[in-house]
Formats: sequence, structure tokens, C-alpha cells
Amino acid sequence: MKRIILATLLLSLTIVLTACNSRPKLRLLNWGEYINDEVVEKFEAETGIDLIISVADSNELFYQKINSKTTAFDLVIPSDYMIEKMVQENMLIELDYSKLPNRGTVTYMDGVNQIFDSMTQTTLARSNKTVDYTDFAVPYFWGTFGIVYNNRVEGLEEALNEHGWDVYFEADTYFPTARRGMYDVPQFAYAAAMMYMGNNPNDYSSTLLGEVETVIENADFIEWGDDTLKRNVESDNLDMAFVYTGDYLDRLYIQLDEGKTLAEVQADFDLYIPDTTMVFIDCMVIPNTATNIDGAHQFINFLLNPVNAALNAEVVGYAVAYQEAFDQIISYLDSADVTKHNWATANSIYYNMEAERTFYPLTTLHPDDIDAINTMVQNVITG
Amino acid sequence: MENQKATLKDYGYRDFTTLNKIYKILKKVFVVAIVLGLYISIIVIAIQSINESRNLSIFTRVSFQWYANILQEQELMQAIRNTFLVSSIATVLATFLGTFFAIGLYALSKKVRVLWMLLNNVPILNADIVTGFSLMLMFRLLMVVFPNIFGLFTLVMAHLFFTIPYVILSVMPKLKETDPNLMDAAMDLGVRPYKALIKVVIPAIKAGIFSGMLLALTMSIDDFAISYFTTGAGFDNLSIWIYAVIGRRNLTPSVYAFSTLLTIFTLVGLLTYQFLQKQKKGKKNEKNNFSDIAS
Amino acid sequence: MAVPYKIWLSILVFIPILAMLFISFSNLSSSISVGELTLSLAHFKLLWESSTVIAFRNSLIFAVATTLISFVLGYFIAYEIKLSKFKNKFILLTFVILPMWSNLILRTESLANIMSENNILKNILGFNLFGNISGTWMAVLFGLVFTYMPFMILSVYTALEKIDFALEEAALDLGLRPIKKFWKVVFPLSFKGVVTGAIMVFLPTLAGFAIPKILSRGRIVFIGNIIEQKFIYTNYNHGALLAVVILFFILGSILLITKFDKEGETLL
Repeated sequence: MKRIILATLLLSLTIVLTACNSRPKLRLLNWGEYINDEVVEKFEAETGIDLIISVADSNELFYQKINSKTTAFDLVIPSDYMIEKMVQENMLIELDYSKLPNRGTVTYMDGVNQIFDSMTQTTLARSNKTVDYTDFAVPYFWGTFGIVYNNRVEGLEEALNEHGWDVYFEADTYFPTARRGMYDVPQFAYAAAMMYMGNNPNDYSSTLLGEVETVIENADFIEWGDDTLKRNVESDNLDMAFVYTGDYLDRLYIQLDEGKTLAEVQADFDLYIPDTTMVFIDCMVIPNTATNIDGAHQFINFLLNPVNAALNAEVVGYAVAYQEAFDQIISYLDSADVTKHNWATANSIYYNMEAERTFYPLTTLHPDDIDAINTMVQNVITG
Repeated sequence: MENQKATLKDYGYRDFTTLNKIYKILKKVFVVAIVLGLYISIIVIAIQSINESRNLSIFTRVSFQWYANILQEQELMQAIRNTFLVSSIATVLATFLGTFFAIGLYALSKKVRVLWMLLNNVPILNADIVTGFSLMLMFRLLMVVFPNIFGLFTLVMAHLFFTIPYVILSVMPKLKETDPNLMDAAMDLGVRPYKALIKVVIPAIKAGIFSGMLLALTMSIDDFAISYFTTGAGFDNLSIWIYAVIGRRNLTPSVYAFSTLLTIFTLVGLLTYQFLQKQKKGKKNEKNNFSDIAS
Repeated sequence: MAVPYKIWLSILVFIPILAMLFISFSNLSSSISVGELTLSLAHFKLLWESSTVIAFRNSLIFAVATTLISFVLGYFIAYEIKLSKFKNKFILLTFVILPMWSNLILRTESLANIMSENNILKNILGFNLFGNISGTWMAVLFGLVFTYMPFMILSVYTALEKIDFALEEAALDLGLRPIKKFWKVVFPLSFKGVVTGAIMVFLPTLAGFAIPKILSRGRIVFIGNIIEQKFIYTNYNHGALLAVVILFFILGSILLITKFDKEGETLL
């Protein structure tokens, strides 16, 4: 017994000691597997800063981590609505663009600018303040939402292309036996139903809430999941689900890597992006707990380099935010490298921004409203 | 009954041999079925880990690429190291402290003890997220004095908080079985109290301590919610990492590979231990089951 | 020797419970800092929300069912371990609990995987082992039982371990038939282990959320799911309220049982 204790203590001591060194540190709070390890190594080699990454699985948990101040994070990568909330509560510091020279070398994608505009609009309408969110945030990745569907179901693809949201929500009219799934984030369900009803997904009133409840009840969802949704559609255990476009692309790349052709994968399951859909953007922001503000700027500047952004996107299946990086990826359409070719093809199909679409980023609703939505969805689920 | 002759049965003799045979076979079937139930998910994880395809519903070909890949996954490796570090420290400390606390609680009067045992259940019962949150609030008070307290230290403290009750819960029933006069007898014989404890009481409750240790390790190695709230400074364990990956991405099958390795290594370790033990016992011809566990 | 643990429990249990109580009466929202607080009973209407009631009922029913099934199956296995000729029992015990060292999410997702219509086992075996029970109460119950049963096995075995076989033989000499012998002699002696095991299975099942969520495909809501959601959306008032109500409910019932229990020893 004593030997075990001694050994453990010695072991822990050595690990703790070896973990200590004097290089400057940068504490990053990120989603899991949301950064290319090569990017980390390159950044550490170029700047001599140690990147220490903590991970969490939702914006709400990011908020909680920052707010509890238990760790002094220098950099966080939350999404649009959470950035709104953090700015509103003075949790972020303004970026010093003189420390971000690479900003001049990249143009943001149109979709990204749309999202920033829309965020500013929402804030203006709500609190009569004009906030330019680019003062606080530099985009990391962005993406749309869509309906991933089981293409083995005869006629589903045509119906979706023709009737859009109706097919997904009107279980009585279209494909009554189809198995529908929804993200278990109540606000996503609410927003999707609102778009189906032709409303702005960020509007809220108790009358609307009642209508949404009926809509969601009628959709008859058999699954309220997360990462399981895409896999279930892929393996023919589900027919339709509202997911991140990146969710679909993640699975698509995997199948392409394993030697399937794009047409073969699409014949199994494909993604439909409605004309009116939700979008999200994940941005790098510096919380006011930061101790290494210079290092945080260095990191942002590093990723503003299109080469590094593209390198990062190589592993993470979401859309790059800078036109130059996007162009670089698209240029691989002519590449002989199969992986790169597939990557370019998928980007050109699913992140093609020429089609006319209405994009809605989610916004932070009042806590009471969010609570009402959560309870409404729970009530629908428990029936 | 077609046969009118009186049979042995009619005289009250019941032939249990066939029934016994059926019972024995049935028993084996049950044992196998239950073990299969316990292990089915582990088997599926193992299958997924040797599947060449990352598709979780189709098996294409056997491949060990995900095993080779574990070392390449830096975030995963870090999480694994952190998990082992925290769990081993927490388990050893919890077993040690839990045993002594249990002995201490046992010495109290029955009424008082029942109350404390009731409180002892709180960490087991409370929703993890609530425990995690309230522990974080408590540890935050300490930040005034130690600003960098969050990390390994708080994580170990939090793990102790929910593992010690399991140790106490397993040790307590064993203590009640021991003869209360055991300790007194030893002390009457002139043994010093703490020596009496180690020489007399601990051996008597060894089985309880061991199962408490297993439980503590089990709870600690797989904890998510409490760890999530009480960690800091990038000290994330495997569960936190797995949840975070699911939030935006797909899990790499290397996670399955690691999980399978953990199971296989433990099994092999157990069998080797058993083999060595058998050889040793063969020499000594001893029959004591538990004697070597706590040493 | 219990003094340090008393202090430890007092600080880490009492104060947080008081804090939770306080939070559940207050209007503290989103931010953790204590600013302008008012106390109110407004949050209590949450307790009558249909989803809360149903979730609580689900948790309770599943926890009871899981405990009962784990008791029957777990006792059987523990007994077999006790009877087995295999000398090194501690290897068998470790073997029983070993699956729990793999991550809960991985295990539960792989269970959900093989319980759905098209899965990897069907792909290999050619037939569906579980039928298509993914998303049903059966899937959840199976998952709960086979996740927490090792706790029962461990506790029961610990209790059985010290029972002297001489006692059993004595019972046989007295003419008790095997089944009777079991009920009259062995079971009462192992009852403490059963109670410990039941607590260890019942409590985490009641408060858990990951297993029901994954195996019911999000359709069966436990009270743990609601508490988790409340905390994630920084609605600490509601989360704390639910947690405290459950805590008092369970502790109250345990206390009640100890009161009615004449020996006062069987439970704790």
C-alpha cells in the first residue's frame, strides 16, 4: 500500500514538474478537435508561445467558463449569439487592429459580412445601440444549417427541393412514415419552426410560442439528438434531420476518403439547404480575463493568414471565413490529389454562395424567453 | 398417468438429477448472458476500433490503423494522461482516507452515525452538475488566497469529494461484521491503538476496502460533469474531451482503440497476476484468497 | 478519526446545499456574482410544469426498476462468484467492473448503435441482436441495468464473502432444503450488502441523464436532463430548486425508512 502511494506521488510530481517551463503561455478555450494540430505546432514554432487548449461542448459552457473566472483564458471561440451576449455584458475587450496587420490581406466572405450586419441590426433594434462586432471578433469558421436527408427514400429529394421546410415539418402531408430528427437544442427547434412559418427565427412572443409548439408536435420527431443525427441518417436509421452543414460535410469527407465517389455518397444521404436558413459563425474573441493579450493578438493575426486558415480548414470540415482561403481551396478542383479534389468539390457545392438565400444567425433571447422555449420543447417531448 | 403402478415418485421420492442438470445448464446460460450484457458495449467498441471504415454501422475490413494513430492525436493523448494522473491520485487518497473516515464514523454512537451516513450519500445522490457547480463556487472562494488553484489540485479535491463516500459505503458494512471487541482485545494485549488498527481491523475489512477502491477508481476515471466545472488551466480529462468533440466534430476511432487497449491491458494484467499468484501458491500451498490484495 | 471527514462533509455538503437553497429562492440569473437579489417563490411553479412532473416520475420508475433487476441479476452473479472454484475472487470482481472504466458516452452510444435498425453487428452477424428497440423504454432499462449492475455485484459479494460455508452446512444438516437454506441463512446475512448495492444503483440512476438521453434518442426525459439543461442555460434558480427538492425527497425517504426500521442497523 505504502509503495503504491509513494509511486503515485512520485509519478505525479515528475509529470507536474516536466509540465512546467518558462515559455509564455496562451490559454485558448475551444471546441474539441476544432483546430489542426499542425496549426498549433506551426504557431508555437513561429512565436515561441505555448498554446494551452481547454475544450467545451457548447456556447453556454464557454460562457460559464469565462464568467466563473476559474481560469484566465486569453482567447475563446464562441458563436455569434454568444458573442452578442458577451459584448452586452462587457466580457470582451476590443481588438487592437494595429497588432493584426494580416487583417488587411484578407477579405471576409459575403456570408460572414451578412452575419456581422445582421448581428448589428439585432442589437440596434433591441437596445438602440450600434455595435460593430468586428471590433471584438475575428471569424474563425462559419457555416449554414440544412436538412440532411436519407436519399434511399424514394421521392424525398424531389419533395424537399420543391416544398422545402414543409416536407420536414408537415408529417401528416409529406412522407408520414419518414423518421424525423431534431437537434436537442430547444432554440434550434424553435428557430427551424419559425422559419417554416415564414417568420424571423429571432422573434419571440408567447402567441408565437404556442404556434411553434403545435408545429413541432406535428413534425412528430422520433429523435432529439446531437452528433447522432448525422450518423443515423447516414446509416439509414433516420430519414431527415436539421443539422449543421459541417455535420454533413464531416461524414461526407470520411466517406470520400474511404474511396466512395461523391455521387455514391449523395445517393445514400445528402444535404438540402433551404432558401431561408440559419447560419452560425465562430469567432476568436479576447475575454477580459486575458493576461496574455499580446499573445492572443499574435494568434489571431496568425490565423488571418489565408495559408494558415486553409491549413486549419483541412482538418475541420467547416467553411473558411476568408475569400482568399476559400479561393485557395476551390483551386484544388484541378488537383490530382484525390483528398484535396474532394474537399474542393464539397466546398463548391455546399458552401456555394451564389444562390440567393436568406441567412439568419441566432441571437440571444431574453433568459425568460429561452426558458419558456426550453420548457415548451420539454413538454412536447414528454408529450 | 397411463402407468397404474406406483412409481418412486408416489412414495415421495423426487428425482432431482435431471432437474439439477437442467438447473446447472440454465445457470451457465444465465451467467454467460449477463456477462455478455455487461460486455456487449465493450465488444462493440472493440469492433469499431478495428474497423477500417469510420462508418459506425458498416464493417469493411480489419485494420489497426486507429491504434497506430493514438499517438498522433495530441489532444487525445493529453486528455488520457490527465485522466490517469487524476484518477490514480484520487483513488489512492480516497481509499486511504475513506477507510479511516469509515472507522472513525463507526466509532460514533448509532444515532449520530446514521445522520452522518445520510450526509455521506449526498455526493452520490446529487446530480453531478449540481455537485460540480457548487464545488466550483466553494473552490472559487479559495482563489482569493491562491489565484491559480484551478487545475490538477481542484480536480483531485473534487474527485475525492465524490469517491470517498463510495469507499465509506463499502467499508461500513464490513466494519459492522467485525467483532467490536477485536480492537479492545488487541489493545488489552498491549498493542498500540494505531498498530491494532493496522494489524487487526484493516485485515478484517480488506474485502470492503478493495471493493471501495474499485468503485472509487471507476467513478473517478469516467467523470464528466464534476470535472468539467472544477478543472482549470487546460487540465481536461478524457470525458471532457469526448463531450467537446461531439459538440462540433466526429470522434476519431482512436478513442475506441484506446478504450479497447485499456480493457485488454487490464485483462492481461489480471491474468498474469493470477498466473504468478498460482505459481507462488503452488510453492507455499496456501489457500487464502484475499491476503495479497492490500499488500 | 471521523472529525476531519465531518469538517470536510460540512464544508462541502452543508454550505453548497445552503447555497443551492438560497439560489432556488432568489432571482440570481445568468451571472454568478451576487448583486441585487430579491427572494421569491416565483420559481416554484416550475415544480408543477407537466414536463417536470413526468420527468420526475420517469426517473423514479426507472430507478426502482433498475434497482430491482440489478438486484436479481447482480445477486445471482455475486453468488456464483462466491461459489466459484476460481480462487482469486478479486480478479473476477475486477472483471465485472472493468467495462465501467471505458467512457460512459462511448459505451452508451455503441449500445444505441447496435439497438437501431441498421447497425454494425447486423452487418457482421446478418441479424439484429436487439431487434429495433433503440429509442424505447426497453433500451433505456437495458442500458441502466447493465451499466450500474456491477455496483450491486460488488456490494453483494463483499457481504457474501465472509459468510461461512460451515453455516450453510449446518443448515443442511438441520434439514433445510437448498432454496430454504438460501432464504433462511444466506440471504439475511448478505442483506447489508444488498442495501448498499441498492443505494449505489438507485441514486446514480435517479440523478443520471446521459444514458436515458442517448438510448431513448432524446424522447424519455429524466429529471437529471432537466436539471442539466437549467444549469447549462445558466438558469441556476430552477436547477438548484429541482436539485434541492430531489435531495430532500430522497434523504427524507431514507431517514423515514431508518426510523421505521426497528433494528435501525440494516440500512445504514
